[in-house]
Amino acid sequence: MSELLAPALPALPTRARMRRTAPAVVSAVAMIIMIAVCASLQPDVLTVAGLSLVLSATVPLVIAAQAQMTLMSVGDIDLGIGNFVGLVTVVSATTLVSSPATGALILLALVAAYAVLGALIHLRRVPSLIATLGASFVWLGLGLFALPTPGGTTPEWLASFGMWQPAGFPAPLLPILAVAAVVYLLTARSTLGVRMRGLGSNPVALERAGLRPLASRVMAYAAAGALGVLSGLVLASQTGGGDVSSASSYSLMTVAAVILGGGSFQGGSAVPWGVAVGGVTLGLVSVVLSLLDVPTNMQSAVQGVIVLAVLAGRVVVGKVLR
Amino acid sequence: MHVHNLPAEPFAAPRGADRGSSDRQPVVVARHVTKTYGRTRALTGVDLEVRAGEVLGLVGHNGAGKSTLMRVLAGLEACDEGTVTVGGRETSGEAGPRAAAFRGVRMAYQETSLCPDLTVAENIWVSSRHCLPRLRWRRAAGDAARRRLGEMFPGHGVTSGDRIEDLSLAQRQMVEIARASLVDRLDLLILDEPTESLGPDAARSLYDYVRGLTAGGVAVLLISHRIREILSVADRVAVLRDGAVIADRPAAGLGEHDVLTLMGAQVADRAGSEPAAAAAGEPADRPVMAELRGATGSGLHDVSVRVGAGEVVGLAGLAGQGQQEVLERLWRPARRDTRVHGSRAYVPGDRQRSGVLPLWTVAENLIVTAMRGIARHGLRRPAEERAAVGSWVERLSIRGGPDAAMTELSGGNQQKVIVARAFASTADLVLLDDPFRGVDVHTKTDLYQLIRHEAAQGRSVVWYSSENAEMAHCDRVYVFRAGRVVAELAGEEISEEQIIAVSFAESDGEQSHE
Repeated sequence: MSELLAPALPALPTRARMRRTAPAVVSAVAMIIMIAVCASLQPDVLTVAGLSLVLSATVPLVIAAQAQMTLMSVGDIDLGIGNFVGLVTVVSATTLVSSPATGALILLALVAAYAVLGALIHLRRVPSLIATLGASFVWLGLGLFALPTPGGTTPEWLASFGMWQPAGFPAPLLPILAVAAVVYLLTARSTLGVRMRGLGSNPVALERAGLRPLASRVMAYAAAGALGVLSGLVLASQTGGGDVSSASSYSLMTVAAVILGGGSFQGGSAVPWGVAVGGVTLGLVSVVLSLLDVPTNMQSAVQGVIVLAVLAGRVVVGKVLR
Repeated sequence: MHVHNLPAEPFAAPRGADRGSSDRQPVVVARHVTKTYGRTRALTGVDLEVRAGEVLGLVGHNGAGKSTLMRVLAGLEACDEGTVTVGGRETSGEAGPRAAAFRGVRMAYQETSLCPDLTVAENIWVSSRHCLPRLRWRRAAGDAARRRLGEMFPGHGVTSGDRIEDLSLAQRQMVEIARASLVDRLDLLILDEPTESLGPDAARSLYDYVRGLTAGGVAVLLISHRIREILSVADRVAVLRDGAVIADRPAAGLGEHDVLTLMGAQVADRAGSEPAAAAAGEPADRPVMAELRGATGSGLHDVSVRVGAGEVVGLAGLAGQGQQEVLERLWRPARRDTRVHGSRAYVPGDRQRSGVLPLWTVAENLIVTAMRGIARHGLRRPAEERAAVGSWVERLSIRGGPDAAMTELSGGNQQKVIVARAFASTADLVLLDDPFRGVDVHTKTDLYQLIRHEAAQGRSVVWYSSENAEMAHCDRVYVFRAGRVVAELAGEEISEEQIIAVSFAESDGEQSHE
């Protein structure tokens, strides 16, 4: 009868479970260290307003990283997400202001374009790396066509969301946690998530069970497209305009955020909470570096070294727990 | 949730009481079923009936067509000709994983069809989602899995939230079998080598459960190479050979030896080869080229293999019993129990994955191993290379000549190039990893002659093959089973019947070890 009782007890953290959460824990430790460093340099950081300021820059990155994680869970990688987010800021700074209905339709069409991209990748058996890299140039071209130089304005409602300052808690936490929760429900709890992770884990088993891998992949791409649109809207609300190349660094940063959060290139796993931690950690690096007065032209190099250090920590912890 | 509404009669029906009776309803019937992949005829006309309430054992050696037949019976693939009838309804044309007719036919795969990154409950959802509620499916799937695992394998130690990748091999197999059995209406359960990674206790409780299933009217198709196990569990035994069922007998009164005779009833075809025995001197006289002494670990148990100079040594037996591990040890003799003198060359079996360099020409593919030997001071010598390539192309009559692109060649000719690559080098020991799978007869005959010829020149060859008839070209053959050498055959003793007999025999001790 012990079998019947066993699941009623809270599951003890097994070695396997610890091994899987270790990367996110390492990233969380790094994140806490960075906040502590910030606070020691600038005590205001620990106030609500200070945390809002520090965290707000990371929100679009975290949401884009969730999009990347969704695709990585089916075993693909998206190298076009940066320019896609940039294109969304352009749309929201131009069409969405002049004619909101058309703008909304364009954004929906962009999500549909992602779904079509997923279908093409599946049916033509193109490596996702190549297809999304090609798509990234399409996004860039469309963005430059619509808005050759950075500019434009932001729709009123979007701007007011960017300015929102609730009392008692840092506003950026809300979108970060809400998006992570939605992505968690989608990829880790729902049957759709099972199909997506099953596709990344063992497509043959999925096929034998009579599930269509194409549908799973298309749904994953559609979800990633929707998250990309959301990320672009949040970015536009913060910058107050459109710039197609404003997020081009996201393509690779999001991959790093997923890896920091415990994801893998092989597919099969979904780690939305880990990605939230990884994304914030990555975003905080540049804040710490500016507070430390590191020259701007050195920041990229230092950022890379810090990411490598966190990844090395993840590898070491993984080895110890194996 | 009605997946547990399986016929729940206690395991009371006296087994054997109605053994061999043919008045039961047939569940799945195959008539004149053929299936061809490219040039290989996997099934040449199978007639098979699986009846409700019986365990049908299916045996056959490598390449007999077992796995193809199972895929057809499970509805994963349509057959080319013939008909498959499920529950009285003909299903021709309607196949594929989504075919509704095959809903009641479930199969537990040997290599499992679970997603390693998903939990047990999620895997159950993937395969049994039709019988799970839309809400709270996770709990329902977990409950069903736990109940079924408890019935089948008491003390399994699996919880429904475990990820498959964290389970042991035996536990994965248990989950796979439970997964296959979980469906609202089970008509036929196909078990493919279910006990391969299970311990004896788990195997016993599985077969107890299987008997309970058949007592409730479910048909079970059991595939195993453990013939004793089949004979003790099955009501009927069907023997598959060369893509057709050649015998279908009640298990009662059938002995292990009878089944082996049925499986190997034909005489090996040795036409076109010089008798191997002629080349076989006393193995002990030859200088030893390579040796494994009591090698244990990574899939091997106390394996001793000796290869003399100029000897062709075969590694035989069922696929995956340790032969490739021996080749691996000889290729990279890192451990102390392995001794190899001289240089080595390796011919991979999977030419697409690890054999050809597809962008290179035939000449480049052929000479890449020998290149270093021909070169002087690190510089290639094109004239000598061309001469060597030319002689090999001529000798093996490789179509297209040295300048053809590798991918323009047929499979057989590509294989010739890869074999020539190994022999063109100066290697003293050539390792062949089942290289002639899916190669046409003419090419094979050419290559067999090449191997004998090169051996006569003093080279040693270690040759793993899943085709037992090929072993007739060896001087000595080691037969493997579960990582052990169960027999060593030499000269005249080497025959397909012998190899089949020893590779299936459930030996407890050592057999015919001189």
